[in-house]
Amino acid sequence: MSKSTTTVDHSSQDVLEPEARPVPEGRVARLQHGETWRSIFRHPHLDTPRGRALQSFSNVFLHIYPVKVPSRVLKLRYSWRLGYIASVLFAVLLVTGIYLMFFYTPSVTAAYGDMQQLRTGVGFGQLIRNVHRWSAHLMVLVVVLHLVRVFYAGAYKRPRQFNWVLGVSLLLITLGFSFTGYLLPWDQLSYWAVTVGTNLISYVPVLGKQLSDLLIGGEQIGQATLLRFYSLHVAVLPVALGLLLMVHIWRVRKDGFAVKRGEVGSFAEGSTDRLVVTSSGAEPATEDGQRVRLLGVVDRESVTAEERLTDDTVFTWPHMLVRHVVVGLGTVATVLALGVLFAAPLRGIANPNETPEPAKAPWYFVGLQELLSRFDPLVAGIFVPTALVLVLVFLPYIDRNSATEARNRKVAITIFSIVLAAVIVLTVIGALFRGPGWQFITPWDHNYLEL
Amino acid sequence: MKFDRRRLLEKGWKIGGGLLAAAAGWTSWDLLQPLKPAGATGKLKLGSPSKFEPGTATFVNAGRLWVSNADGHLFAISQKCPHLGCRVPFCESSGRFECPCHGSVFDIGGEWISGPSPRGLDQHPLTLEDGELVADLGVHIKGPDHGAAEYLSPPLGPSCSEGG
Repeated sequence: MSKSTTTVDHSSQDVLEPEARPVPEGRVARLQHGETWRSIFRHPHLDTPRGRALQSFSNVFLHIYPVKVPSRVLKLRYSWRLGYIASVLFAVLLVTGIYLMFFYTPSVTAAYGDMQQLRTGVGFGQLIRNVHRWSAHLMVLVVVLHLVRVFYAGAYKRPRQFNWVLGVSLLLITLGFSFTGYLLPWDQLSYWAVTVGTNLISYVPVLGKQLSDLLIGGEQIGQATLLRFYSLHVAVLPVALGLLLMVHIWRVRKDGFAVKRGEVGSFAEGSTDRLVVTSSGAEPATEDGQRVRLLGVVDRESVTAEERLTDDTVFTWPHMLVRHVVVGLGTVATVLALGVLFAAPLRGIANPNETPEPAKAPWYFVGLQELLSRFDPLVAGIFVPTALVLVLVFLPYIDRNSATEARNRKVAITIFSIVLAAVIVLTVIGALFRGPGWQFITPWDHNYLEL
Repeated sequence: MKFDRRRLLEKGWKIGGGLLAAAAGWTSWDLLQPLKPAGATGKLKLGSPSKFEPGTATFVNAGRLWVSNADGHLFAISQKCPHLGCRVPFCESSGRFECPCHGSVFDIGGEWISGPSPRGLDQHPLTLEDGELVADLGVHIKGPDHGAAEYLSPPLGPSCSEGG
């Protein structure tokens, strides 16, 4: 027999929820309204609009979300959740990376043995390494796709210019992450891929030799390089990426969602020019007859209004959170499946005297390697990539066109698409169509691609 | 212009901060410079010159270099390709150095023949001391520019590269 629910719990009252509310039935509910629970979570869980808002504001994790989002943002095709997937992959990399650190010694005499031990002597060691590796590859891919989507959607335009710059910086750090991690197994694949990659730096005019020496800690890759790459991989880059990611997400919150101006649920800036104030006391309306909420009238010339045509926003909790949980679980399931199905490669121990045929850079640099086989290293290794990165970083300040629709951005979209296609073609040629001596081969006869 | 305490502090923290950042930058740069291996003299004894037959190239692991003999001219040739640092093996069948990474080819004297390498293979100076060849590993001589063909001769046979 149930007890009466009319008891009032005065301890859960506060200025934001002043009404006396009955305590729900059950032990869990009573626990959630008790002093101990309140000392941890600050506010009780209230399944009311105000309660959800309060929960979002006061929770350290939830407050990175807005309390409400336009319903259009919930659709998968709005962003394909690529930024979120990249963040989940980063979290997977952090967790699996910490496991790997327990079993890895950054020493040229021990590193390769540790990798073998991980495969044969550590419970789930091979799986953890596989998941770490596939997550790293996927993260590079997803971050690039995220950038491509943001470009085509024109979402880097005002007021999101600086967040684009942060995003490109995050892409560069992601590449740095993957590249520094590449060396750590200390096998032939890692040694020579990194040798090719680091030698690019020596082509930098004037300071090339010093910069190269600084990165690899000597004339050639050895103990100093391994230690430097390890330190960068497990300390410097995670801190840098973590900090930038926080600012990046914070700016997504502050700059607002990139929904088109004037669309339902848009928080676009001032559009009072379209406003017609009615004098009859009837509801104000825009010229095209859509309803608006009038906040105040100061005088005939100055009208303060908010363009929230019809409120179709929904609460982040649960609508957005549920989607994020599903996509997050899907991402983890994908990398787990890849880890179970495909083993991360481990060739023979690094031999500085013997270059394997062919020696390929990691797949995301193999397009650059292809370019290097055709043009002068100063042009292909330094000028082209530097120009590409600089244009990418400063793109929002170069492309001043405020239009976001593709039909009004034909020049920008054409140039970007050509460069993107060139990068893809060079990468595919370098990865699949090059064999020993960098001779042209057909991938269906020989496969020299190792990830 | 009035220069009061407030202005002094405004300027002061900027100048102080700038100096601190510069000091931190310089310290980091200096700290991360490669360490010099202890006890390395840079001189490597290679033995009698007669050990190195004409038309051959012998790998010396201690110095990671090739000693090649091109018609009686001896060279201490760096194993590292000037293009992107791959190790260049000597192909016995063609009598040439062939880089496995991007296919650069060099003659027995280290001169560039083909491929993306910007120059010939780098070298170390060789001297004769008490009848022994000595390579100075501390000195790098940049490889010959494109066009040098003093020791170029037709390939002895097929290339070692699968595709070539």
